[in-house]
Amino acid sequence: MYKYSEKDTQFLVERVDQFEKQLNRHLSGELDEDKFRSLRLRNGLYMELHAHMLRIAIPYGILSSKQLRALADVADKYDRGFGHFTTRQNIQFNWIQLPEIANLLRDLTDVGLHAIQTSGKATRNITADPLSGLTEGEIEDARPYCELIRRWFNLHPEFSWLPGKFKIAINGAKLDETALRIHDLGLRLVRDNKGELGFSVYVGGGLGAAAMVGPETASFVPVEDILSYLESAMRIYNLKGRRDHQKRLRIKFLVRELGATEFSRLVDEDWQQTKDDPELKLNLKELQSLKENFALPVSPIDLKGFKDQVDFNYSIWKKNNVRSHKVSGYSIVNISLTKLGAAPGDATSEQMRILAKLADQYSSSEIRTTKRQTIVFPFVRRDQVFDLWKSLEKYDLASPHQGTLAQIVACPGRDYCDLAKAVSIPIATRVQERFNDMNKLLDIGDLNINISGCENSCAHHHIADIGLLGMQKNGEEYYQITLAGETLHETNIGKKLGPSVSSETIVDAVENIVNVFIEHRNSEEKFTDVFKRVGIEPFKEKVYG
Amino acid sequence: MDKTQNPTSLINRDYESISLVSFDEWIEDPEKHSKLGLGIIIDPADDIYLIKDQLEFIELIALDFNNFDDGRGYTQAYLLSKRWNYAGEIVGINAHLDQLQFMIRSGITSYQLLESYKGSNEEDYSNGFSLCYQAAANNHGLNLQY
Repeated sequence: MYKYSEKDTQFLVERVDQFEKQLNRHLSGELDEDKFRSLRLRNGLYMELHAHMLRIAIPYGILSSKQLRALADVADKYDRGFGHFTTRQNIQFNWIQLPEIANLLRDLTDVGLHAIQTSGKATRNITADPLSGLTEGEIEDARPYCELIRRWFNLHPEFSWLPGKFKIAINGAKLDETALRIHDLGLRLVRDNKGELGFSVYVGGGLGAAAMVGPETASFVPVEDILSYLESAMRIYNLKGRRDHQKRLRIKFLVRELGATEFSRLVDEDWQQTKDDPELKLNLKELQSLKENFALPVSPIDLKGFKDQVDFNYSIWKKNNVRSHKVSGYSIVNISLTKLGAAPGDATSEQMRILAKLADQYSSSEIRTTKRQTIVFPFVRRDQVFDLWKSLEKYDLASPHQGTLAQIVACPGRDYCDLAKAVSIPIATRVQERFNDMNKLLDIGDLNINISGCENSCAHHHIADIGLLGMQKNGEEYYQITLAGETLHETNIGKKLGPSVSSETIVDAVENIVNVFIEHRNSEEKFTDVFKRVGIEPFKEKVYG
Repeated sequence: MDKTQNPTSLINRDYESISLVSFDEWIEDPEKHSKLGLGIIIDPADDIYLIKDQLEFIELIALDFNNFDDGRGYTQAYLLSKRWNYAGEIVGINAHLDQLQFMIRSGITSYQLLESYKGSNEEDYSNGFSLCYQAAANNHGLNLQY
């Protein structure tokens, strides 16, 4: 597994030292709140009503068991014994005391973890497919590129004070697990007709009130030229992005106002002046060294004659949570921490330590995190999957609901969040109660329901099969329904079904939608494919008819 | 934003006092101003590309960093310093202590801190790191990790 060098660790320590000085100046009244806010956000620190929230980056979603134990220790020592895995490969702690921040961050530098640029108007943690390097048919493992690009924009002198936050995702697989076209900037690894590797670039995607699929601004940027291209895109954004309107800060508004063609032209014009600068070429030697560091820790094993256990619950769990691995003899195992009715993504320090122990035992000490707020064990021997399942069951981490409609993505909602207009988790619970028949759930198959309590769209409802968005109407909670959002095969923002539906009838509406799907689908057809074939009308008719 | 009064003149590399005009004043009549040995104060919102072809006639350029969250000055400094090889002094005025490292690496050649930072340890913020992860206009004294 890739580890930071001593120099990298030294840099993390220097960053903590500097932040500690800023923190002390703030506490002594020397540094005002406005400036401190800007500085603390760039170090992952939010001020909430009762305490402080700290967001730690999990670069490309990968943790070693040692790092996970360090996070468990942080949860116990500085928080209330738990952390929250986010949809963007970060972990958040919600009950941090201000004077302890520097010590917390210093503890984490020992294991190569940090909070640099996990918030604020700068380049955020760069996300990757959690299955990078693991699946057959991948174009290229995205992780070494993520690391090089992450480093390049780490305290970048020119781009650390952008108009808005800047999120980048990189995908090297055929299917898009990263949802790259809803990012400020998405990179897709591609090969040209000569077989050379490069990136297709998509700029200006985003969710929220003005959801937008990022248009392609360059179809092929050679690998060695990607840093200069990214700099040019950010330069145009830095100079021309809206700074006058709090709700139009993101790059999607600039791309929309200029038009994708004009934005691309401006970027290209700038890029033509820098692309041949040898200083801006991606360091191919370093890339090679990173590829060696990211090499898989397992080799093929011959399991000829191996027969897996037969057990009803095990089979159900396995069907939905175990995927084939490109290395023969291995499997990829998905683990959900979520219990029905609880906030997705929360993990106790005890669960973290259990996962660390099981990862040492079954997954080459490696853990990955996903945008569905689940955990992936990337290297499980096929003949040990059953033993792992037994252990997960023992710790209540192998719910058969995982991977079915009942595994709903929901933001904290109005129960916990000041911004939310409506509750999320209670709706998720009611949907789960309605669909409590395991046979029915298995028949429905993999169908995503995401529930956001407001337009900030923390639960990514726009890209779910069924998306629910909470809102207020005359003091009552209502939900707008969007259907057939997707990112895996192609990127589509969900289509609005019609008028929003009251809290009392929302679960009936969801059930009706699922029934229309079942009625119209051909054998294994997916929800989005049925929707494309039959259109929105049958769903409308059933829900509003 | 901190309250400030912009300087009317600044000292160049040869210790000469250079009178300053605003960007708008300059572009109203570049030909006239070019002959007067003047410097320009540039706001973040000013379109710096408009003076690209007149740089040899500008004695000194002052970039205004007063607005803490407005990062356009860093790109202006980069363009002047690295891309257009501007030979005169690039002064970061109304500068904030905590942003010195970014300003210096973007290409400013000198700075004037805001009054409120008087007496602070500038070294902590102008030179707080041993390495850098990216090529920039000025990486002097840093280990290059890229």
